[in-house]
Amino acid sequence: MKKIFITTLLIFTSVIFFGQAKKPTIMVMPSDQYCLSRGFKLTFTNQGMTQTLPDYRAAMQSDPNLRLVITKMGQMMADRGFPLKDLEAEMRNMMQESAESSMLTSSSSGSEMAESPIDVLKRVAKADIILDLDFDLKAQGPSKYMVFNLRGLDAYTAKQVSGVAGAGRPSTSATPEILMEEAVLSHMDSFNAGLMRHFDDLFENGREVKVLVKVFNNWGENLESEFESAGETKELSFIIEDWFADNCVKGRFNLSDATENQMRFEQVRIPVMKLQSGRERAVDTRSFVSDLRKHLTDKYQIQSKLYLRGLGEAWLILGEK
Amino acid sequence: MKKITKILSLLILMILITNFASAQSRRERKILFNSMYNYEISPVGVGMDGTKVFKVWGYGKNVGEAVMDAKANAVAACIFKGLPGGAGAAPTPALCSESGAENKYADYFEKFFEVGGKYLQYIALTNDADPAGPDRLKIKKGYKVAIYAQVMYDALRRELEANGIARKLDSRF
Repeated sequence: MKKIFITTLLIFTSVIFFGQAKKPTIMVMPSDQYCLSRGFKLTFTNQGMTQTLPDYRAAMQSDPNLRLVITKMGQMMADRGFPLKDLEAEMRNMMQESAESSMLTSSSSGSEMAESPIDVLKRVAKADIILDLDFDLKAQGPSKYMVFNLRGLDAYTAKQVSGVAGAGRPSTSATPEILMEEAVLSHMDSFNAGLMRHFDDLFENGREVKVLVKVFNNWGENLESEFESAGETKELSFIIEDWFADNCVKGRFNLSDATENQMRFEQVRIPVMKLQSGRERAVDTRSFVSDLRKHLTDKYQIQSKLYLRGLGEAWLILGEK
Repeated sequence: MKKITKILSLLILMILITNFASAQSRRERKILFNSMYNYEISPVGVGMDGTKVFKVWGYGKNVGEAVMDAKANAVAACIFKGLPGGAGAAPTPALCSESGAENKYADYFEKFFEVGGKYLQYIALTNDADPAGPDRLKIKKGYKVAIYAQVMYDALRRELEANGIARKLDSRF
């Protein structure tokens, strides 16, 4: 009985104290080129300028080839432990959310939900890794062949973390569907090896993000103002830089721009996990920059506003909340 | 007399050097044939879902032995070497990306590749009849043959992942 109790306690403790890193979400999206060249586009005039954007909804609703390729890729990725986020379902879900948000009111006072224009703007389909897909069926005499191009883009940095591209073998007899299936089957193992290298790098060197430190106009101080801590006086920009050096994985970051009003930190390597109250917790851009905010509030009594811009970029605006 | 002795000793020395050199190349050849990295593969197309098809060569004292060697090579190539691209198929990386995996998991692989071992489970289809024509070469003390093999690549990957030899894509999350 004692043994069973100890074993149960050990299992329970290990589950509580050893968290898991956040599994990245992956979503396939047709490339802009794919959508625009096939007429899946939205054209509108913005302040006198004509802008053209890809219409993903139209592409997903009316292109069977695209659906076939995405389904095949989804099947292969699910088999490897990464079920893909479905773009079509995600867009449907957002539409539903939008409708529900505008209709929902409090039962007691009838108050509507608070939603700023920024909240509306931020309601877009998101994933940690975007699989930017492009393919084309080409002809060479009587033969047909498939040109396939798949890029894995890290949504945090917009960097390409994996990619495959190539043309299949020309065939006179194979149907376009078979050629498309062949293209996916042929390239996915190589693509996944690239993803694995990215994940290894992520755990070894941390996740790469971008942080901007800005200043509210009415604060009265700026990044060149001097602050005192433990008998030492330092410029705020150097205090912030020191914090990054102490908290980034292997002290890795790049201060690409610094003025009295803003500091731009790029290639900031944040840890994937951190120990908090005796537990391992997954770290994201927001929680990392929140630690900086806490440091500035506790030590220098500087209030600040944390604004998350996309998955891999956060702004810390000093002066007030 | 002195001159003859000198010429004779020089001749003996030359013969010794030549013998040593040829012995070394023979040894090198033997090492080459027994090398676990010496897989000769040529892609022939894109395999059906979860499989890889390619032409692979094997060595043996007779044709049957060479065919079995080719089958083992087909599976070993998927695990340790990866498959080159060609004939419409993109290159495929090795299932074991870890350097020196063949030594680290030697016990597992010895059992896996033993005669009639589990590796045969992952060969779905070969031209099992004796290879003929350019696919069957008579070499010194044996044969070098080529077979067309279909390897159950995804099933092999799952087997290695289950045994902790290959890493799953989501293994760190």
